[in-house]
Parts: sequence; C-alpha cells; structure tokens
Amino acid sequence: MISEMVMHAGRAGMLFAAVIKTLPRVRNCLPDVWRHAKRIADGLPLVLTMGAISGAVLAQQTSYQLNPSLPDSVIGVAVAAGVLTELGPVLTAIVLAGRIGAGTGAEIATMKVSDQIDALLTLGRDPVLELVTPRLLAASAMLPICVLLADCVGIAAGHLFSTMLLGVEPHQFLAGVKEQYHHPALIFSATKGFLFGIIIAFVSCYTGLQARGGAAGVGRTATSAVVSIIMWVMVTDAVIAPLYKTIATS
Amino acid sequence: MIELVSVRKRLGGRQVLDGVDLLVNEGETVVVMGPSGVGKSVVLRHIVGLMDPDEGDVIVDGISVPGANGDQIRGIRQRTAYVFQNSALFDSLSVRGNILMGLPPKWPVERPKECDLMVAEVLEHVNLEPDILGRLPAELSGGMQRRVAIARAVIGNRRYILYDEPTTGLDPINAGRITELISRISTDVKVTSVVVTHDIEAAFQLGDRIALLSRGKIRAEGTPQDLRTSPNAAVRQFLKQGT
Repeated sequence: MISEMVMHAGRAGMLFAAVIKTLPRVRNCLPDVWRHAKRIADGLPLVLTMGAISGAVLAQQTSYQLNPSLPDSVIGVAVAAGVLTELGPVLTAIVLAGRIGAGTGAEIATMKVSDQIDALLTLGRDPVLELVTPRLLAASAMLPICVLLADCVGIAAGHLFSTMLLGVEPHQFLAGVKEQYHHPALIFSATKGFLFGIIIAFVSCYTGLQARGGAAGVGRTATSAVVSIIMWVMVTDAVIAPLYKTIATS
Repeated sequence: MIELVSVRKRLGGRQVLDGVDLLVNEGETVVVMGPSGVGKSVVLRHIVGLMDPDEGDVIVDGISVPGANGDQIRGIRQRTAYVFQNSALFDSLSVRGNILMGLPPKWPVERPKECDLMVAEVLEHVNLEPDILGRLPAELSGGMQRRVAIARAVIGNRRYILYDEPTTGLDPINAGRITELISRISTDVKVTSVVVTHDIEAAFQLGDRIALLSRGKIRAEGTPQDLRTSPNAAVRQFLKQGT
C-alpha cells in the first residue's frame, strides 16, 4: 500500500515535471487549449445551476436557523461568505470533476489501451504536450472564471430567495453582502478555482495514462479519476483554508 | 540497418525474449514469424524504444536505442514508421488528420497545398477513395482502418516501416489485399520493413528473409525457400500447425 503510494507520487511528480518542460513549446498546442476551454465552458449551465441552488439553500437554512434577535442582513453575510469561500469553488470543482474529469480520464485511458499513446510516441510526438499540457492550461484558466460566475449566480439566487420567499428587505440582504464582501474573498475564490482546475486536469490525465486492461480498464479509470479528483479537491480545500485568514487580515 | 543483439526481456514474471539476435539489412523485408503470444510485438517495441531490453542491445543506424538520448530517440522515430496491430488511429481525428500525423507537425500549417497533394497520393497508393478523408476512424471497416494506418506510415517517407500483425482480425480477402499492399510498398518505396505475423501465407509472400521466434529465441532464419525445406523441428512443427 505505502510502496504503491510512493510509486504513484513518483510517477505523478515525473508527469508534472514533464508538463513544466513543455511550457516553452506551449504555442504549438494553443488550438488544443482553446478546444478544451470550450469543452469546459459547455459545462457552465450545470455549474451555474448548482451555484444558484447552493445560494438559495444557504439563504433558507440561515433564515430558518437564525436567532430572531439578529438582523436579516446576517442572511446576506452568510450567503456571501458561504458561496465565495466554499460552495462556489467546491461545487464547481465537483460538477466539473464529473463532467470533465471522467471524460478526460476515459478518453486518455482509451488512447492508452488502444496503443494511440504509443502511436504518438512512434510518430515523434510528445504525448504530454499533445494531451496533458493543453488540458491543464485550459482548466487552470477556465475554472476561476466558472467559479466567479457561480459565485455571482449563487449570491443572486440567495438574494432572490431571501426577498421573495423569506420576506427579507432587499437593502438588508445587500447590506449583509457588502459587509462580508471584500476583494481578498474574491481573489481567494478565484485562487481556489485555479488550483482545482489544475487538480481536475492533472489527476484525470494521470489516471488515464495509468490505465490498462481494455474496456473494463477504461471504466475503472473514469470512476477512479472522479473519486481521486474529489478527494484531492477536498484535501486542498482543507489545506488552503488558513490562507484565507492570512489574506483577509493582511 | 537494424540489429538486435542477445536481447532478453522479462514481462509479468515470464521470460519473453531470451537472447534474440536479429539483423535487418537496408532495403530488405524481414518477417518475424511465430505463434501468438511468443513476443513478436515485443521485438518491434524494442526497435523504436517503446521498451528497453533487460539485457542485450538494439542498434538502429549505429545508435544503441536503450542508451540513446531524447534527440537520438526522436531521430530514430522520425525515420521509422510503426503500423500497430489494431491500427491505433486517433479517434478524435478524421482520416485526413490521421494521415497528416505522419508528417512533421508544422507542415500542415506551413505547406497545406503540398500536404494535400501528399495525402491524395498516399491515399491512391493504399487504394482508398478521397471521399473518406472527412470520416472518423470509427466509421471505417477494419480493412480500411489498416489501410489508413499504412498510409500514415508511408506518407512521411520513412526509412523503416514496422508492421505489427498487419493481417490479424481481417477476413481472408482483406488480409490478402493488405499483404499485397505491403509487398507493393516494399517494392515501390524501397523501404526497409520488419513484419511480425503468425500468418504463414503472408510471411512467405512478404519476406526476403523469415525468422521463426519461438520460446524466446530465433529458432530458424533464412529465405522463404530455406524455411520451406528446413529440417528444423521447430520450423516443421510451426508450418504443420499453420496448414
């Protein structure tokens, strides 16, 4: 078990180093970066729907559990804080792990088990430059955008639910959001999106490249890619949580 | 020139290659023949550096493949085309895109007209109609996929072409056509070819020389006529099983 973990860590480290080595040649793969970015953007309706639902639920739960003596603006505070720092980035990453991570893992695994990766090598091409680097660049650029859009929609949905269903005055909700909002929160949210983008692309590519064993292997890889991405997203989320305190107080 | 010197390779706890020696001279077609699972494809993978031997050496154009640096390996691969057993066409690319992968990456952008002419020429060479250029590999039959893979190998004017079981999985008519195509390419393009197959008919039709790989070693080697009349027990047994 431990030796397997060390082996995976070593292989992942080597793949990451190979990606870094391809960066000076990144101009050669810009059309692929654009293609993968568009594929991520296709998942935007689902990301925004999840963002809206999370904002609405957060507003309702805060309202139901709020001490009546507290002002309604607290709902705005809770929605803004919850969506910007946690729900926006994490839910976006989980949605895209299912949509992009599983697809990428299965696609690369299919290429691996059908000798297409070996074919690339024998044609003198670099599979890392052709397959991994474009996905990594596209995800790291697109995830912050998706997260920020999900944040906006989440807060808007929280506002809509609070005012229409919970009887909160619009100005009270907005006062709460303004109280909570500050630029570092937005930067923190986008930074999380950037890191989660790298995790989604890198873990799915790495898992795909490790595939073996025909169609069954491809299925296992897709599942394994999603599980691994979610695990690493949550671990990273926990590890960088103290960073927000540092950013917010600096 | 390609040379394998006492190559040993162990895979999954099994000694697949146990001291393989093989010499492929410039311009000739050498067929490595043997039963399924004997390690024929492993021999080809060593030639392009997809595998390194546990012991022994693989020398291509005077360069030791296992000891070669990145540039040398890229150079060897640029001179060598590999036709995979399952064609290994890229699912997401059209037939045109797949064939163009056989050319240097910048060519389709820098000289598109020249590339189109080359694609048309190579397509005619492998007896495929131009109307398939826009199709995806999944929309082609097994025989057509194999032809596209051969077109991708031929377009780059490589010095060596390695064929991994080129007729496996095809019906007898298509297998015959592919064998005839490989034979024609070897003659017309004057390329050095290594073909691995368990198809005895194809082996005798294609090979200038045939090597029989069995239980990790080359058990017999010679012209098709030499092997047909060989008293070697391994050769006789293999030929008997194939008929």
